[in-house]
Amino acid sequence: MPGANDESPRTRKRFPAPGIHRLPMQDQLSALLAKAAAELPALASRPEFEAAKARYVGPHGELTALMKQMGTLPKEQKPVAGKLINEAKTQLQVHLDAALLRLAAAELAARLGPAVDATLPSPDATPGTRHPLTLVRDELASILRKAGFIIADGPEVETEYYCFDALNTPADHPARDAQDTFYLPADARFGNVAKKSPDEKYLLRTHTSSVQIRTMLKGPPPIRIIAPGRVYRRDTVDATHSANFHQIEGLYVDKGVTVRDLKALLDYIFASLLGKDTKVRFRPHYFGYTEPSFEVDLSARHLPKVNKEWVEICGCGMVDPLVFEGVGYDADVWSGYAFGIGLERLAMMLYGIDDIRYFYQNDLRFLRQFS
Amino acid sequence: MKISRNWLQTYVNLAGLSAEEIARAITFLGFEVEGIRETGAPALAQVFVGQVLTRDKHPNADKLSVCLVDLGPAGGVKTIVCGAQNYQVGDRVPVALPGAVLPGNFEIKPSKIRGQSSDGMMCSAQELGLSEGATGLLILTDRPEVGLPVNDALPPGDTVFDLEITPNRPDCLGHLGVARELAAWFKKELTYPAVHYVPEHADPAPRPDLLRTLRVDAPADCPLYTATVLTGVKVGPSPDWLRQRLTAVGLRPINNVVDVGNYIMLEYNQPVHAFDARRLGGQTIIVRPATEGEKITTLDKVERTLPAGTLVIADANRPVVIAGIMGGLDSGVSADTTDLVLEVANFRRQSVRATSKRLGLASDSSYRYERGVDPHSLEEAMHGCIDLLLATAGGKVAGPTLKVGGDVPWQREITVTPAFINERLGFTLPADEMQAALERLELETVRTDPTPDRGPAWTFAIPSWRDDLDRPIDLVEEVLRLHGSDRIPAAPVVAPALLADDAPIVGFNRRATDALVGQGFSECITYTLRPEKETAAWIPPAAESKFQNPNSKITAAFALANPFLEDQSHLRTSLVPGLLTALQLNQARGTAAARLFETGRIFVERDSQLWECAAVAFVICETESDRAWLKRPAADLFTAKRLTESLATAAGIDLGRQPLAPAGATAPGWQAGHAAAAGELQHRGWTAQFGLVDLALLQSLGVAGRVHAGVFAILPEMLGAAQARHRYTDFSLLPAALRDLALVVDAATPAGDVQKILAKHARAAVGSAFALESVSVFDVYAGKGLPEGKKSLAFSLIFRAPDRTLTDDEVNAVFTKIQTAISADGTITVRA
Repeated sequence: MPGANDESPRTRKRFPAPGIHRLPMQDQLSALLAKAAAELPALASRPEFEAAKARYVGPHGELTALMKQMGTLPKEQKPVAGKLINEAKTQLQVHLDAALLRLAAAELAARLGPAVDATLPSPDATPGTRHPLTLVRDELASILRKAGFIIADGPEVETEYYCFDALNTPADHPARDAQDTFYLPADARFGNVAKKSPDEKYLLRTHTSSVQIRTMLKGPPPIRIIAPGRVYRRDTVDATHSANFHQIEGLYVDKGVTVRDLKALLDYIFASLLGKDTKVRFRPHYFGYTEPSFEVDLSARHLPKVNKEWVEICGCGMVDPLVFEGVGYDADVWSGYAFGIGLERLAMMLYGIDDIRYFYQNDLRFLRQFS
Repeated sequence: MKISRNWLQTYVNLAGLSAEEIARAITFLGFEVEGIRETGAPALAQVFVGQVLTRDKHPNADKLSVCLVDLGPAGGVKTIVCGAQNYQVGDRVPVALPGAVLPGNFEIKPSKIRGQSSDGMMCSAQELGLSEGATGLLILTDRPEVGLPVNDALPPGDTVFDLEITPNRPDCLGHLGVARELAAWFKKELTYPAVHYVPEHADPAPRPDLLRTLRVDAPADCPLYTATVLTGVKVGPSPDWLRQRLTAVGLRPINNVVDVGNYIMLEYNQPVHAFDARRLGGQTIIVRPATEGEKITTLDKVERTLPAGTLVIADANRPVVIAGIMGGLDSGVSADTTDLVLEVANFRRQSVRATSKRLGLASDSSYRYERGVDPHSLEEAMHGCIDLLLATAGGKVAGPTLKVGGDVPWQREITVTPAFINERLGFTLPADEMQAALERLELETVRTDPTPDRGPAWTFAIPSWRDDLDRPIDLVEEVLRLHGSDRIPAAPVVAPALLADDAPIVGFNRRATDALVGQGFSECITYTLRPEKETAAWIPPAAESKFQNPNSKITAAFALANPFLEDQSHLRTSLVPGLLTALQLNQARGTAAARLFETGRIFVERDSQLWECAAVAFVICETESDRAWLKRPAADLFTAKRLTESLATAAGIDLGRQPLAPAGATAPGWQAGHAAAAGELQHRGWTAQFGLVDLALLQSLGVAGRVHAGVFAILPEMLGAAQARHRYTDFSLLPAALRDLALVVDAATPAGDVQKILAKHARAAVGSAFALESVSVFDVYAGKGLPEGKKSLAFSLIFRAPDRTLTDDEVNAVFTKIQTAISADGTITVRA
């Protein structure tokens, strides 16, 4: 490699034009750039890069050293040499930047690891699900909320008064039989379920109508509530019977509430739930706490597994004046209606479920079907 | 209740109405039709009575015969091949001629059978659709005329409706009652049964050796008792019409006396009992309460010891009938009975019901008495019964009908206006339609008073069999029934806003459910009633001593008085056991891991009482055999802790601020050392537990793997205390100063306690100069470098001032003060 001192200062002075006379520094710079171009792309890590960078442009770097030679050059050579060095510096920076970019990309790539197969399933817990009875209950509640019904609540352990007496179900009524109703022992004590009289027995409520009584005893009309909840019947368990099941009962008390209002509400409920083509009909029936009383049939042939024209779906009626008298409402001023829908029965119809026991077995293959 | 159409036809003309039309009428009258059954032969064209003239063996078949059959005017003599064996030459049988179509769409055509032509078919009862499984030809034993269409020779068909009679309408437990309803519906005449007997027909002289007097010792339970003596009767089979009617409605004909009794019961809803008069001891029937230890062998051949007080009908020696329920075997009517005592009585419903329940013995009679028998129709039923007995069994009435009670005449009136009825209905019916409807139900208008603005005020006399009609509202139902409850006009829903709120528990359940569903839990619904063994496994032992009777089982407070199933005998005290059952079921069906939860009521003992609590619980099950291509860290107590905290939050409770106690020893069901509890019902009104479920318990339940669970339970009345609205607190935008401090304590010291002490000292050291923003554990260490039985807890402390950047000096001064203070009593040392 030609040394920096091969040419005399005079020559340098006489041939100042760039490109015409090669300065010794030019070759040195070319060599330096060639070395950098070969070395930098091969660097494997950031420390190597930093070391290499220091070798070129650090305080003791080769380029730095060449730059330092500038001071020793004749004055007329300085502009040319300065230009050469700047060019070299720029080119070197391109190599350094490229190397750094390459290393940074390699580092990121190293942090990522190999590409992931997105078709693999997530090992995380599957999404949670609401029970079909909850879904049906919530749907009914939201339908009824639009008609102004709010949700009331009451205890599942009840007393004979709230479950029977107040609902015009006299002491010798078959519904009160120990054959049909679960009772608690005479000495059972419940801290937060008050008895109306000391000698009445505790029982598991057979309907949520007891909530209607509690609500009416709490305050004057107007009242518009639904009471969803768990109820109990002493019944053989089979495909359509269970020791506990769920109801949603509604009560509306106001001035001038009529049979026609009741029919209008049930028409609205079932049209909302099952579509406008759903037909609802009332059949006279008997319940002790309503007069007149009806059973409600649905015609909804589009539902799965419904193979009858009319399917019984709920019971309802106009609140019996005796019930009003019992809670201290003036039956000449107030009238009202009540209805009760079995949630299991409704859910079975809506989803085409044919065995009530599935609701209580909680097989995940069942539970996950309804979300 | 089975109702025969033919029988109804006696009282109301239903001719021309299809079974469906009648069923629809019954349905809208308020009685559910649970079934319709057609009996008897269908209409059979081209089927006639034929007489077998000859019967020869078929030349080409061993089992067939070739017969000449005379069909008289219907077709002359025909050759018919027949495979049946049960007939003889001369028998008259049904013959289907070509063109006949038998049930099952079986068309009869001329045919050749093994080379022998056959011009029809002789028929069995089954082929005619008369009965299932009858083999052999139907031999017409009463020899109807040859050539007669077979329908004219067979007993008429019937349609039997199976009705559900609601408890308010006992009058419709008899055909007459149903006929009355149908007559009103179809606007037809109701024809009452013709009763011919009048007391003057009786032989005035009673038989001296038979019943002479009645005595009722319990008039409250037996308001009316009547008895008639019939002599010279001949017990035998009932006539066909009577047998057919009883058979149609599912009763087996016995003999004319018993059948007539049943017939009257099914006609008037009035039970009838017949004694063999000569088997009654003495000459007095006594209606009285049974004395201790009295026995009777009832008609079902069971000897029963009667509880004292049971109302019985007794002769001089013994009870002969359990009043209103069932007669005694040895005083009943038998084939050689010639003299009868006919009992037609009324018993108090509650008395019959109580006895029936106590004895576990029910009958058609007790069913009717329990629901209500009209005492004012009793005399008519007695006379109708005598009529029928005299007609079917002969004999005569000896002496007047004996009677005790029945002194209270029936009188009830209801006054109602059309305006009232329209107001309750919500639509308008013409006044005359209303009045006509009520009158068709035999409510007689006894008075009509004008009113200024509400139309005529009608006063109706209520018939004695309609005890259910008592108030004007009851007549609204009658009007609507006869108008048709399927004709209620449509209307918009009118719902003036009431501006009320849901019960607070609704929000709690919804928030808890949202939290858990969001964490991948599936909602379950399990039974409230649990087995005793399971209940015992989850009751804290402390509960035992608190109950009044220390000897009773710890589960006693949770037990039902009358469980139905052994494994559903106790109220649940936790939701976790039900969820474990669900886990077990899923594991057995091949789903090992699961996250399940439930919201529902549980019952918690406190203060010698049970408290009904709103609760929510979850379980997380992880098993060794869970396979996944990528393993996630296992759930642990802290997973359960965080979730339980979110459940408490749903009730507005900050569980993080509550003291925790280890669960396990005091809370069975939980794994000691791996579970914790907070709260209690006594003072706070809520409880929470979380952690690992007892491994031995899981094993005994057959649940594989580890189950972490959490429960939060709260008294419903604690929910819904209005939450104060959050107020914004100013926060500093200046940088914080951080210091780490490792403290060495006994390994058993809870980190929470140390944190509390540290926070207390730190707050004291900071004073009001600036603020301690937080103290939190970031490392727990035990082992090398620490003494045996010690652990190191590393805390991060964050300090900040609202108004300036803290200097190192002031923070260091405070930090030194903290270190000095915390190590002062020697239980906590600062780790170098």
